Amino acid sequence: MTEVIARRGFHGPSNEEAIEAIHNELDALWDDASFVPDMDRMTFATAVIEAAANIVQHALPVAEKPVEIDVDISVRPTRLVARVSAFNAREPFANDMQAAMPDSDAESGRGLALIEALVTTVTFERQDGTNTWILTRNT
Amino acid sequence: MQFSYEVNDSYAEVKSVGRLNMVAAPKLREVVAEVVAGGSSRVVVNLAETDFMDSSGLGALIGCLKAARQAGGDLRIAGVQPQVKMVLELTNMDRVLTAYPTAEAAFGDD
Repeated sequence: MTEVIARRGFHGPSNEEAIEAIHNELDALWDDASFVPDMDRMTFATAVIEAAANIVQHALPVAEKPVEIDVDISVRPTRLVARVSAFNAREPFANDMQAAMPDSDAESGRGLALIEALVTTVTFERQDGTNTWILTRNT
Repeated sequence: MQFSYEVNDSYAEVKSVGRLNMVAAPKLREVVAEVVAGGSSRVVVNLAETDFMDSSGLGALIGCLKAARQAGGDLRIAGVQPQVKMVLELTNMDRVLTAYPTAEAAFGDD
């Protein structure tokens, strides 16, 4: 097992308040792990917020229970890891998973391409009504 | 996140303070639409106090750029901080949204 040096998380309804709360957790994480270089903080925080925003904007509930968002972010000796999950969510539509950068006049659709440019690995898992993005960045 | 604006002789300056994310993006669109509707189609968005922008914020800036151009003007950005610069470069939007050091410099050449 890789040692976890610092860890922060969030769990709550998938809405705008969650985005601000997750961003506050990221800021707190960097306070806990002040040795993480600015460039890594900036890129990783951007990727985590993009993934969380994708859930808030696109995830649809699988049944009556509303979608909940769960974020677990950890600092390890040589990498940053985030698990960003949508609970009670349907499988994402193919066009919500579009990772190519759109035309310059497009006003949306850059999130996934941006995530891919910001992190070392992006993995998507679906299990029992939960969609999980696992983002890692080597530091 | 908060927005404020000031209309000068030759342009309007919209100040964006805080995180320009999916929560703030619709507010930016509203403020710029109000500025353009008020007759100021040359708009500078001052990002000197915006330390974070995501793709929703970027999308709002692109929408505002289109609105300003449709009204015969333009939208320029100023005071770009490192994270915002990174997002603009990774999305190749730095060529569309030209960054100026200050709001005064943005329309200083014309």
